[in-house]
Amino acid sequence: MQCAGYPEDKLRSLADRLPCRETQVTTLLSLMGEPDQYSYPSIFIYGHRATGKSHVVFSVMKDLELPYTFVDCVECVSPALLFHRVLLAFFGPDAAASLPRCPSLSDFVRLYKQMSSKTPATQTRFIILDRAERTRDMDFSLLPALLRLQELVSDNVTVILLSQVVWEKFRPNTGCFEPLLFHFPDYNKADLVQILSRDHHPSYTPELYASYINILLGVFFSVCRDLRELRHLAALNFPKFCEPLEKGEAKESDIHKLWRNIEPHLQRAMQTVYLREVSSMQWKEQQMDEKETTTPRGLSAHAHIELPYYSKFLLIAAYLASFNPARTDRRFFLKSHGKIKKTNFLKKHEKTSNHLLGPKPFPLDRLLAIFYSVVDSRVAPTASIFSQIMSLVSLQLLTQIGHDDQLDAPKYKCAVSMDFILAISRTVNFDAVKYLYDFL
Amino acid sequence: TPRHATPSIPSRSAPARKPGNVLEEARARLHVSSVPESLPCREQEFQDIYNFVESKVIDGTGGCMYISGVPGTGKTATVHEVIRSLQQASEQDEIPQFRFIEINGMKMTDPHQAYVQILQKLTDQKATPDHAAALLEKRFSAPAPKKETTVLLVDELDLLWTRKQNVMYNLFDWPTRRNARLVVLTIANTMDLPERIMINRVASRLGLTRMSFQPYTFKQLQQIITSRLNRVKAFEEDALQLVSRKVAALSGDARRCLDICRRATEICEHSAGLQKGSGLVAMSHVMETLDEMFSSSYITAIRCASLQEQLFLRAVIAEFRRLGLEEATFQQVFVQHQALCRVEGLQPASVSEGLAVCQRLGSCRLLLLEGSRLDLLLRIRLNVSQDDVLYALKAD
Repeated sequence: MQCAGYPEDKLRSLADRLPCRETQVTTLLSLMGEPDQYSYPSIFIYGHRATGKSHVVFSVMKDLELPYTFVDCVECVSPALLFHRVLLAFFGPDAAASLPRCPSLSDFVRLYKQMSSKTPATQTRFIILDRAERTRDMDFSLLPALLRLQELVSDNVTVILLSQVVWEKFRPNTGCFEPLLFHFPDYNKADLVQILSRDHHPSYTPELYASYINILLGVFFSVCRDLRELRHLAALNFPKFCEPLEKGEAKESDIHKLWRNIEPHLQRAMQTVYLREVSSMQWKEQQMDEKETTTPRGLSAHAHIELPYYSKFLLIAAYLASFNPARTDRRFFLKSHGKIKKTNFLKKHEKTSNHLLGPKPFPLDRLLAIFYSVVDSRVAPTASIFSQIMSLVSLQLLTQIGHDDQLDAPKYKCAVSMDFILAISRTVNFDAVKYLYDFL
Repeated sequence: TPRHATPSIPSRSAPARKPGNVLEEARARLHVSSVPESLPCREQEFQDIYNFVESKVIDGTGGCMYISGVPGTGKTATVHEVIRSLQQASEQDEIPQFRFIEINGMKMTDPHQAYVQILQKLTDQKATPDHAAALLEKRFSAPAPKKETTVLLVDELDLLWTRKQNVMYNLFDWPTRRNARLVVLTIANTMDLPERIMINRVASRLGLTRMSFQPYTFKQLQQIITSRLNRVKAFEEDALQLVSRKVAALSGDARRCLDICRRATEICEHSAGLQKGSGLVAMSHVMETLDEMFSSSYITAIRCASLQEQLFLRAVIAEFRRLGLEEATFQQVFVQHQALCRVEGLQPASVSEGLAVCQRLGSCRLLLLEGSRLDLLLRIRLNVSQDDVLYALKAD
């Protein structure tokens, strides 16, 4: 890496620390120019998650000891915080303290100008805004002003915006100064292998770790190219991979044997750890205890909750009311029904699967009618039945539609999944599928 | 710092240059801010307002008058002229003494500031709006035998509108008090303002003393310019006539007319530097000025646009024709754009380039766009007529 104005050795160490990003670093450095030269007013860097945008910019700034401030826009709930951070980083706490209580953009520019005339920039100052898409939601003049801050404060300052969103979605309708666009491409498989192999375990050879990474990517590359996620998975599953070596069942050269050992384990990890059904801690403990034969019960397996007897029926009734057309109720719920067949008396939109279109609202009367039909015993419509409906609403198992009237014919929607309902109906020995029009 | 310092601006180090030649002299005379000695073509209006105010001052009563007219028809200038001559008359003891104060709705941040300004001009007191309103109320309703008449000019009346209209109500209610001796002259642009925005009790207090200033005809405009120039020979007769006819046909705005004349003298001066002309403003100079000031800049903007931008506008029109609507999404227009690119033998633009082209046209307001966050789904409308776009694109 050759770049005028910066010390050789630092550039070399930088190149070592940022593998597979040499071209990006060189381009960035050439955009920045020598430290005392004026740089381009604003640079917009975009790319997917975990493509090293912040990392590259941050390490370049830090290693080359440039004056910079790194601001995450998520933290800046108001532009005042952003202004404060910038002034604090460039001119010290005195400047930041002299900002008024609710600083406007012009306050910031005035104060910056005042300060920079006292201590003019000997090097380009950099303002790095991470997750810059948030600036669009702040004051509408903030983003256009930041893009031409160099011109506004007449100081050698460059604003670097980092985002996962493309520039087209940023451009304000009134137009603005166009920043330089700079794309960080995704890592390909070879890049990922190279980067992940760098953090190998000290007690094993790098070759072993590289082959482990290859196996890992063979399983996960088709679903995940996120470096952070892959690194997490690699660290989590490596002890399991090394188990046969520690037990002496295999040698480091028996890659095939190791692969056979780890592959089902990784497949299972995809369904559990990757979806965060099982936390990393639990996963580690399971590996320690060697209990992986019993399938771990994840978060979604815990998805059934204990409900009172009639609440269960109310919920089932609500589900049936939501996903059945109202015209079919007579056939399903009258005691003296004949043969149930899919007939042509339904309208066209009612014939398409209701489970694809989502739940439909139903009135309270229909809910109660279905409820009395599915419950075998006689239930008095007591206050407790009605309060159970309201508590189902407050548990967010039902949702109330149209808050115009609380008492007179309120409408509800069922907000639970089919699996949940089937689990519940199993506990009360009720065959819900038999009553669903879609599954007739 | 002194407590009651008079605000001042720094004076210039050398005095302003006197006009050197005829054209500069004409330019100084034609400046909108140089008030003429008399207002030509507004004699009737002058007389009406003069009689109204004079009778109120002599009788010691109060009243309201509503003056309307499109901008640049001499409303404020006429009222000022009336007040000036009334003040002269009162100095010669022909009529009783009176005070004149003036407020302008556009110079206030809030309608309630009107109270503060009136009070300050009447008594040099400073007060909050509420307090000022109470003080004024007391002042205008308390009997005072030797009180002099106050003439209050309210310019830009429509900006004093509030939800409860209490500012307007008070302004028109004070003159009806027995001891107020207040004459309120109100100026606004629209003739039916009292009927449109005022509630009944405000409109009825304003009364029916109305006056509307008609737009100037071309003869009047010509007369105004000639009287302004006052025998400084800088314009050819035909050139003056052309300016006044053009302006009278469009708006009848005297300020516009003066601006055009001033610009024409500048153009004349510039071209005289290049080649020796007669030194007078000729028809050609006026034509050039009119082109400059009246022609639509949209067509020039379309002509100067880049090839891709022109293609995009063409695609917009093609898509509108296809849909039969005046609105399309970017996605639909972009398909047309790519087809047009192929027809023209150009490399089809990418989506980001297309969007950049579209948003650039949107930022010069040739297109009306929604927020850029919608990218492919943002709806596009034309801000100019389709004929204008086609004319601009075809003319080359």
